[in-house]
Amino acid sequence: MGRKAKFDETKKVKKGPGRKARKQQDPIFKKELLENDETKKLSHRQKQRAARRAKKKAELTEKRKALKQAKKNVAKQNEVVLKEASDDESGDENIQGFTDDNKEWLKPKQKIKNNVKEMSDQDSDSGHDEGSGSDNDEDLPKTGSSPEKYKVGTLDDLFQDSDMENGDVTSEDEGADSSLKMSYNSDSDEEEGKSDEDDDDGDDDMLPIEKANIKLKKKQKLEKKLADDEMQLNISKQDVFAFPTEEELQNPTSLQDVHQRIKDVVTVLSDFNRLKQEGRSRCEYTDLLLKDLCMYYSYNEFLMEVLMQIFPVQELVEFLEASEVARPVTIRTNSLKTRRRDLAQALINRGVNLDPVGKWSKVGLVVYSSTVPIGATPEYLAGHYILQGASSFLPVMALAPQENERILDMCAAPGGKASHIAAIMKNTGALFANDANKERTKAIVGNFHRLGVVNAVICNYDGRQFPDVIKGFDRVLLDAPCTGTGVIAKDPSVKTTKDQKDIQRCFNLQRQLLLAAIDCCNAKSSTGGYIVYSTCSILPEENEWVINYALKRRNVKLVPTGLDFGTEGFMKYRHHRFHPSLKLTRRFYPHTHNMDGFFVAKLKKFSNVIPEPVKDDDDEEAETTEVSGDQPNGNVESDVDSQQSEKKSVGVKRPATSTETEPQKKKNKAPTQKSTPTSSTVPTAVSSNNQIKKKKRKNKKNKPNANDGNKVPQTEQVQIGSINEKSDIKSPNINIQDKNNKQKNINDTGNKNSTETTLKSHTPLNDKLSNNSTALVVNKNVSLNPNQKNKNKKNKNKSSNGSSKSVAVVNKNELKITEKVEVNASRKLKKKLKKKNKQIGQISGKQGISRPEGKQNGINKKNKKIKSK
Amino acid sequence: MKVLSEERTRILFEKLTKYIGVNVKLLIDRPDGTYCFREKKDRVYYISERLLQLAQTVKPDHLISAGTCFGKFTKTNKFRLHITALNYIAPYASYKIWVKPSAEQQFLYGHHVIKSGLGRITENTPKHQGVVIYTMSDIPIGFGVAARNTMECRHADPLATIAFHQADIGEYIRSEETLT
Amino acid sequence: MDIVNQILLNEQKKAEKYKPITVDKHLDLEFDLGTLLAFDTNDVDSKLLKSNKDDYLHSLTRDNTQLLLNKIWELPTERIDEAIVVRLPQPTTVLPRAKPVPKPRPLTKWQEFAKAKGITKKKKDKLQWDEQLQKWVPLYGFRKAAAEKEKNWLIEVPQNVDPMTDMYEKKASEKSEKVAKNELQRLKNIARARKVKIPRVGLPVTSDKASATQLATAATVAKASTASLGKFQDKLPKEKEARGKGVHELIPGKERKRRAPIPTPQAERESNLNLLDSILNKRPKIDMEKAVAKHIHNEQVMRSEEKKNMKPSKGKRKGKGNATNFSAKKPKAGRGQRNPNKKTPGRKRR
Repeated sequence: MGRKAKFDETKKVKKGPGRKARKQQDPIFKKELLENDETKKLSHRQKQRAARRAKKKAELTEKRKALKQAKKNVAKQNEVVLKEASDDESGDENIQGFTDDNKEWLKPKQKIKNNVKEMSDQDSDSGHDEGSGSDNDEDLPKTGSSPEKYKVGTLDDLFQDSDMENGDVTSEDEGADSSLKMSYNSDSDEEEGKSDEDDDDGDDDMLPIEKANIKLKKKQKLEKKLADDEMQLNISKQDVFAFPTEEELQNPTSLQDVHQRIKDVVTVLSDFNRLKQEGRSRCEYTDLLLKDLCMYYSYNEFLMEVLMQIFPVQELVEFLEASEVARPVTIRTNSLKTRRRDLAQALINRGVNLDPVGKWSKVGLVVYSSTVPIGATPEYLAGHYILQGASSFLPVMALAPQENERILDMCAAPGGKASHIAAIMKNTGALFANDANKERTKAIVGNFHRLGVVNAVICNYDGRQFPDVIKGFDRVLLDAPCTGTGVIAKDPSVKTTKDQKDIQRCFNLQRQLLLAAIDCCNAKSSTGGYIVYSTCSILPEENEWVINYALKRRNVKLVPTGLDFGTEGFMKYRHHRFHPSLKLTRRFYPHTHNMDGFFVAKLKKFSNVIPEPVKDDDDEEAETTEVSGDQPNGNVESDVDSQQSEKKSVGVKRPATSTETEPQKKKNKAPTQKSTPTSSTVPTAVSSNNQIKKKKRKNKKNKPNANDGNKVPQTEQVQIGSINEKSDIKSPNINIQDKNNKQKNINDTGNKNSTETTLKSHTPLNDKLSNNSTALVVNKNVSLNPNQKNKNKKNKNKSSNGSSKSVAVVNKNELKITEKVEVNASRKLKKKLKKKNKQIGQISGKQGISRPEGKQNGINKKNKKIKSK
Repeated sequence: MKVLSEERTRILFEKLTKYIGVNVKLLIDRPDGTYCFREKKDRVYYISERLLQLAQTVKPDHLISAGTCFGKFTKTNKFRLHITALNYIAPYASYKIWVKPSAEQQFLYGHHVIKSGLGRITENTPKHQGVVIYTMSDIPIGFGVAARNTMECRHADPLATIAFHQADIGEYIRSEETLT
Repeated sequence: MDIVNQILLNEQKKAEKYKPITVDKHLDLEFDLGTLLAFDTNDVDSKLLKSNKDDYLHSLTRDNTQLLLNKIWELPTERIDEAIVVRLPQPTTVLPRAKPVPKPRPLTKWQEFAKAKGITKKKKDKLQWDEQLQKWVPLYGFRKAAAEKEKNWLIEVPQNVDPMTDMYEKKASEKSEKVAKNELQRLKNIARARKVKIPRVGLPVTSDKASATQLATAATVAKASTASLGKFQDKLPKEKEARGKGVHELIPGKERKRRAPIPTPQAERESNLNLLDSILNKRPKIDMEKAVAKHIHNEQVMRSEEKKNMKPSKGKRKGKGNATNFSAKKPKAGRGQRNPNKKTPGRKRR
């Protein structure tokens, strides 16, 4: 019935579309609709490029491979060397059956295996496991008859060797120290292991707790013994502190010793005359102390040096100790949402142990201990308080915001201080919270919303651009980014990572930020016009110096911060002399105030006018110190540098306070200049001939004014004469500059017409000129020196114009120092020379014609001409 | 900072009325100056007119937040209240739920309020009404939607959900990044 | 004898004329009897091939053919219609094809989707039992239409539809729509497979068939497609901009809406308040549940208040016992009164 299925395999079922599918034809599309995007054919150029690309890629991979291979090879070789060394030591230890190239990679494996086997052997021994024991028995003969103990030794050796090899980064001392430690540890481990075994072997019938007890007692006994020994040692050492020998310094025994030594040195330094060892200078002691402190507290030497300059030694140790431990956790009550008493009650109910932070704050609480995470209680989440260091209250308290003011917090993240400001303002007025880091602004947003701050605008600008955005704030808080030397306890990485560059970068930024903050402030505000600057650093570079800088650049003055505790800011630090009002700033230290190291300064802006930028000695000093700091003195160039800086620091005082006569006297008084207090770097006693000459020349210049006696030998007198001549020639040059600068001085005309002597006196006279002339003085000094050089060395100097050029060429250091001002001055000089100064033009013409040998003669002639005039 | 479109304003107000009813008027009609809603990157901020003037000096790219963020419009143009709006919602809330201290943590981790954790509830709270959640010490800790009315709550078994979690102050820690 | 000899001779001659059926070869041939194929792998004698090409090839061919036939004769033979027949085995050699292998048919959109989702086709029975008709009805095709007709002799007009609609017509149109949709999808699938550009909606418009509006639109769009969005393009004297649905979106730069001017604070506040009023005054939907809950609540409140009011007049009522005054409830015999100090409270209340 019906169709039958055909199961016969000869009949094949038809494949392909069925009747239904065949019924409908596919539609026909027009050609233009069809898109032929099947792999476009590449053009010739494209092909070429592709080929090149492929080739490059292949090359790169090959190179990489080669590099890898090379590395491997090196590693292999190292291994081989080590192996060989160990082989030599072991002597009879040879693993048979391997060819040389197999050895390389087979041996280390073997060792590990052996170690494992050792372990397993021990286990099996104690556990009496027959099966594993038999396995090991089978294995042991295969691996060779090398003694097990020895193998452990070799492994250690290997490790040490490699350590030494890699030790170029770490200092030798550290390496030795670590190895010592390791050995110590291994010893103790071994001992413990032994005792354990003993116990295990001895009393099997004891309860485990009894065993533990015995073990503990033994341990305690051992420790006590060790402690006693140490005490004995300490007592013996305490009697007299002997300066350690080189050897001792090279291999310190333990940290305890170092600590002891630190203590000793501190006591010695506290009463140096009595306790010092004969023939040892204070320097040696301080150096020793520096090194020990660096090692004991793991600081880098630079930072420790800086800290030593800030603190006396006794206080330094205290500071370092205090920086090791974290400050207590403090919280600030959010007065927008709750009162301190209520909050304290609520937290006590949650099992938090706390106290008011002190009389100076009405919102702070110190948390001693807590059974709940203090940063995740419902009160915290509801915004009743915020975790904030006690030191962070201070700048806001100093700022003393009033209601309905417009206030700016320039570096606000994470918003602790800013929210404090808002709380004091009671959510009135307007608060701008700015931070340069966009990620961190999210923290501000979170905190503000949590704490219920509604009067805030949160923005993300670089603080330096903020005056372009909006100005006219009543108060500005600048909690500047800093090196964080006050909060080492929070972030110990500061100890090792900071160096001169970092500090320099920081204070440059801080200066700019502070100027921007001052610009943002409105001096005419009826209630405010205050700027508070704070950092969590204790370095004067980032604090007093920055304030001092701002005092000169803007119309601001320091006012009392309103904080009745904290130590006063520095007025002098190393060679810096700050404005006396810096006494009004406040410093806070971890060891004296039990809060993070902090600095707070409050400024009042008294005028919105931005004064003309003054080229200050302060900045130059900064730069010179940077330069000279880079190059240790002893170098001729750096000597020149230091001289330069001396000149500047001595000759050009701060315009506000300095009297003119003083510096000159100083100069004269210190002819050898061994100890000029204001100089940034003291020149070394070792000085080349050149240097001496220069100094004397300088003296010479000053002489006429001071009317000092001539102590210089006659032979040099001649030279000096020639130099004077030179200065004669130079002086009109300078006069013209003065004219250009519109500082019409009678001296100018006087100089032109006067005799040699008056011409000589020109230099000090110039010093009298106001600020703008300082650059000139510098320029002059600079331009004099090379001229002398030229004369001495008989260099080819084409013209006096050229000489001013050569200034730029020869003395690069000087160029660095005087920067743009000098360039500007020289440019002006060039212009004016061409136009006005015929004399020099003549000279230059002569010089151009005459050969180098005849140059001096030419100049002499010129001199005569001038005389005759 | 854009002015909200009419449609969006409507959506926003409808959402707010779910929680604070007629009290929304108090947000707009304030004695201490005019306040308004502004929109930035789909976020809605509630800000005083005076502060807004100042905030407009900041370029939009650099402005992170101003005033209080109420919530955001989703991609489907619905309004979602953020926990940051709690400051304004809590005082005006007409329906409240208090949770027991033992259930506080539960809720702060983003769980619903269950019967066993229920301390008190406002009388005749209807079903699906927006409610503000308080601790027993009257600290607002979030808001949600009532899963059943007050009557049903009485008869519910201890594990039954009373209020669906919508936002809680634990988000300040859990999702600080996405707060605004 | 002569004859016999003659015959023998003839036979001999004949036999000489044929070659023997056995052939010697160094290597055996390989056969594929299914295709009557034999491979000779022996060396070709090049000398002979050069000297006497035809004869050599001839003989070689014959030998190999002989071997092939020998092989065929080894197969089992049958006799069908007086002819001896051999059934050849399956061929083993694969013959190369003249044309390339056809590519697999590109999947349709649904097939792709199904593949991605792991949906497999379920085989349906061709016949289905129809409860209403009490017989087997084919799923489609022959007799399906008839069955449908028989089944749907009457179609009910649903409640929510206009009572005057012709349900038959509706059904027919639905069917035709389905067919049209299917056809469209088929075409789309084919277009997709061949990578034809087609618009999102409708079929591609070709230039010879475009309407006036389409052309106007195209012109407008083209004019606006400059860097300055057509701002500086010249206009014809009577040119009209294309308008209508969809044109706006096609013109670049047109979708931007003009922003409303920022309202003054007062105006904004007013408008906000108005909006809020409209929201708050919206007539609420009747929420039965809520209403019931409210009602119950009210009742409870009433009752409790009643009780409060009743308490002072308790003694009075007791004395009265008036028939008109009794409540609908059953007297509780003192159990209805509540005394919280009493150890055993009355009815348990949840």
